[in-house]
Amino acid sequence: MASSNDLVEQWFAQTLESFPDLSARFLAEEKDRFRNPVGHALHTSMAALLQEVLGNMDAGKIAPALDAIVRIRVVQDFTPGEAVGFVFLLRSIVRGSNPPRPAMIEARIDQLALMAFDQYMRCREQIAEIRANEIRRQTRARPALQRK
Amino acid sequence: MQVVYSFGAVGAVMVAAAAGLVIGGSAWIAVVAYAGFAVFLAGFCYRVVQWAAAPVPFRVPTTCGQQTSLPWIKSAALENPSTTSGVLGRMGLEILLFRSLFRNSQAGLHEKRLILSEQKYLWLAALAFHWSMLVILVRHLRLFVEPVPALVVALARIDGFFQLGAPDFYVSDMVLACALAYLLLRRFRDPVVRYISQFSDYFALLALIGIAASGLSMRYVTRVDVVAVKQFALGLAAFHPVRPAALGAMFAVHLTLISVLAAYIPFSKLMHMGGVFLSPTRNLANNNRAKRHVNPWNYPVKTHSYAEWEDDFRAKLKAADIPLEADHATRASAD
Amino acid sequence: MPQELLRIEAKKPGGNWTDPAVQFRKGVFCYSAAAKNVRALDLPNPRDWQPFDADWKLPPDWKRILLEGMKERLEKYRSFRLFMDICVRCGACADKCHFYVGSGDPKNMPVVRAELMRSVYRRYFTLTGRIFGRLAGGRELTEDIVKEWFYYFYQCTECRRCSVFCPYGIDTAEITMIGRELLNLIGCNTNWVLEPAANCFRTGNHLGIQPHGFKDSLEFAADELEEITGIRVDVPINRKGAEILFVMPSADYFAEPHYYTLLGYMMLFHEIGLDFTFSAFASEGGNFGLFSSHELMKRLNAKVYEEAKRLGVKWILGGECGHMWRVLHQYMDTMNGPADFLEEPVSPITGTKFENARSTRMVHICEFTADLIHSGKLRLDASRNDRWRVTYHDSCNPARSMGLLEEPRYIIRNACHRFFEMPENTIREQTFCCGSGAGLGTDENLEMRLRGGFPRANAVKYVQEKHGVNLLACICAIDKATLPTLLEYWAPGVEVGGVHELLGNALVMRGEKPRTTDLRGEPLSAEVTHA
Ligand code: SF4
Ligand code: SF4
Repeated sequence: MASSNDLVEQWFAQTLESFPDLSARFLAEEKDRFRNPVGHALHTSMAALLQEVLGNMDAGKIAPALDAIVRIRVVQDFTPGEAVGFVFLLRSIVRGSNPPRPAMIEARIDQLALMAFDQYMRCREQIAEIRANEIRRQTRARPALQRK
Repeated sequence: MQVVYSFGAVGAVMVAAAAGLVIGGSAWIAVVAYAGFAVFLAGFCYRVVQWAAAPVPFRVPTTCGQQTSLPWIKSAALENPSTTSGVLGRMGLEILLFRSLFRNSQAGLHEKRLILSEQKYLWLAALAFHWSMLVILVRHLRLFVEPVPALVVALARIDGFFQLGAPDFYVSDMVLACALAYLLLRRFRDPVVRYISQFSDYFALLALIGIAASGLSMRYVTRVDVVAVKQFALGLAAFHPVRPAALGAMFAVHLTLISVLAAYIPFSKLMHMGGVFLSPTRNLANNNRAKRHVNPWNYPVKTHSYAEWEDDFRAKLKAADIPLEADHATRASAD
Repeated sequence: MPQELLRIEAKKPGGNWTDPAVQFRKGVFCYSAAAKNVRALDLPNPRDWQPFDADWKLPPDWKRILLEGMKERLEKYRSFRLFMDICVRCGACADKCHFYVGSGDPKNMPVVRAELMRSVYRRYFTLTGRIFGRLAGGRELTEDIVKEWFYYFYQCTECRRCSVFCPYGIDTAEITMIGRELLNLIGCNTNWVLEPAANCFRTGNHLGIQPHGFKDSLEFAADELEEITGIRVDVPINRKGAEILFVMPSADYFAEPHYYTLLGYMMLFHEIGLDFTFSAFASEGGNFGLFSSHELMKRLNAKVYEEAKRLGVKWILGGECGHMWRVLHQYMDTMNGPADFLEEPVSPITGTKFENARSTRMVHICEFTADLIHSGKLRLDASRNDRWRVTYHDSCNPARSMGLLEEPRYIIRNACHRFFEMPENTIREQTFCCGSGAGLGTDENLEMRLRGGFPRANAVKYVQEKHGVNLLACICAIDKATLPTLLEYWAPGVEVGGVHELLGNALVMRGEKPRTTDLRGEPLSAEVTHA
């Protein structure tokens, strides 16, 4: 079986294909986490997710990693399907590496996909919420507005 | 596509050079050189005048460091100059060392490996290219003036210090060749740069490469007759073109490419050589609040004056007990 | 295989930037300006339309108007002409724009954003472009290009970060500003810019608060301050003969968390006994004209000097705001000066001459306060800010158009104990924009803002994780309005506050009652509330 590092790289690379070529390369190659926050977040979080899929499936570790990725993709130019579709890419990658207990891993990936979708919805709801909060903050000083 | 056109254009110039040589002999070369140089001079001046004629209505330097404010706060004299000498320093750094481009550079430890970013090479290559080009240009002076100025001789001596095998091997030649190769490669390889590159970008690079290649081959391979070249060049410079001994096709290509590129400069981004001096975000002092900047075309605009505003809100102002312009005097005496 | 299909669908071709087609998807653009606001400012082509409409109802001769507008500006602005001519497409600026970093959309690379305009320039204003057209990098001006300009020029926060890295200092913000000015000529504006501008023109401030409302707000703030400190501060409004006119962004008196900064100013002025006045006419220092056209900027800015002259003050003090200071520092004196009716500013408390403001005669509150602290005129109890672990966000305009970097930091260091800088390549002149500046900060544009703000938020999150930072201090009204939203999404748990809010918390006032809460009404911990 290929090393999990290789799998992460493959997964990362395939996910980046959803960006225009030139941006994909920037996202992949710029290593400074502050110059390239998107690439950095995707890469580290994917590594964490893969570890869990192949390892213990620890929900406490999956949630933040999944959140970091989905949160970014929600606000980028993706349809919901594209935004969470990166999880499914993992299937063929893992399958190609002949893992032990393939059925279990596929089931885990499916589970991950569902979680990603849930997370996607939560982020959407949160965007609606923060939008409302912002409007509220913009009108704090009541007297000014009451006497319009 | 743009690349193909650029290759085509540079190729066409070369062919034209050779054909011209066959048909018109070296007289042709002289004509091309004069024409190229004339277009360059006229065009360059025209463009610079055009820029200079456009006013700088606002003082908008981009500040890259601490401003000059309170005496106990150290200001960044070069990154955010507030004086003319500071501006000169900033421009000097910019023009001689490409300060801003250097900002892109970063060398850092990532995952325990030292990574030099691609951008660092851009700075290095750009600097190498421009400086070696300058050295080579200055060195070429010895072909155009007699006696050769001491400075030029000295420069050539330093440049030729490393006698690497070949006699009179110039470091600048190699640096220029490497830098140009890198810059072209970067345009092909880096997807971002490829995305933004246009005909003009490739054309300029390819023409320069053509010039360098023909020059190098004359120097190191075909061993052009330098005395004959100098005779010809001196003639050109004195507006007395002499008919020299045969200088060969390489020479024709070299000079034609130079002439064409020179003529192309005013019509292209290569004007940055003049423009860099004029950039208002760099060549102005950040002393905006200390010294008034005048906009020559400042014109009156429609505003909503205080008087109109007071008229609009008089009743409300009164009710809120905010002093009014109209009865301010009475209020003051009543107080 | 389904997953293969998915990949193919998701693949976005890089394409060619010369293709102008854009898609106005909800969440990533600003709505058009309502006709009434366009009319209120006497701007061209008021009408009902939206960017997602197929027909933008442009005037019949829109093309002529744009090209003539361009010609005029090429002759009037050396910056514009030069920046059209000398870009070498080296790509150094490409990855410096937060919108590109956050979105991956290649047209958000500053160089391409500029090329959108440059290609039209080449086609119509250069010899090679007129002859060779596309081969010389020219593009025919079409309605699609107008839409593309609108989309991408309102996706630039005019933050000038790209300009820092460009070897020629090419400032894409300058090009965007001209671009918006041109769009403005054919009536393509956004409401988030023009409504505040129209309000400001009529009432004096962006929200359209009328003078009595302005007074009520400030009185209300004074009431709240009395509760917190036991001290009644004065609220002088339009008072003739005051020494200093104080001008602030209007958000300071109607929005949160700006409001706490206002409390900070009022406490400070009271404590040092400053002879000053607010103005209900110059009740806005901010200037949304900057985001529309130079002319509108000048029209809205005029009231500052007009009011200072009318009230007979000696000089002007300005509050915490980013774009306001861009205008005050780089444009006001040139546009509406000379301010020869004012005096060169001198701090009445310390006697310090503000030499750097001797012509414009307007001083930044951070310069003023830093001087007070340095001269030992303020008693500060930094422990009252102990609930905060603070970082500082350099707002684009003070950082890259002024260089006001140390003054606010000096105040913060004196007003609180725990201050942590974000990573070096995300602060000072390299600071990342909030992603909502230049009139993009509206809620319909939220997704775009969240993209553009990600690089900033990412650095905040880093110090949050590393140092437990829970407050982001800044000196910009737009930051204060939009960063809380940004951080709620990207770095929950970090709040946003003004520098003078921290100062107000720490300021020990003569005759104050023992403080039990900070300016937000949050209790101070027991050991801190010593009298
Ligand atoms: S850094 Fe300057 S010269 Fe280079 S591509 Fe960007 S704008 Fe053009
Ligand atoms: S000014 Fe700022 S937002 Fe505009 S292109 Fe440059 S970096 Fe991007």
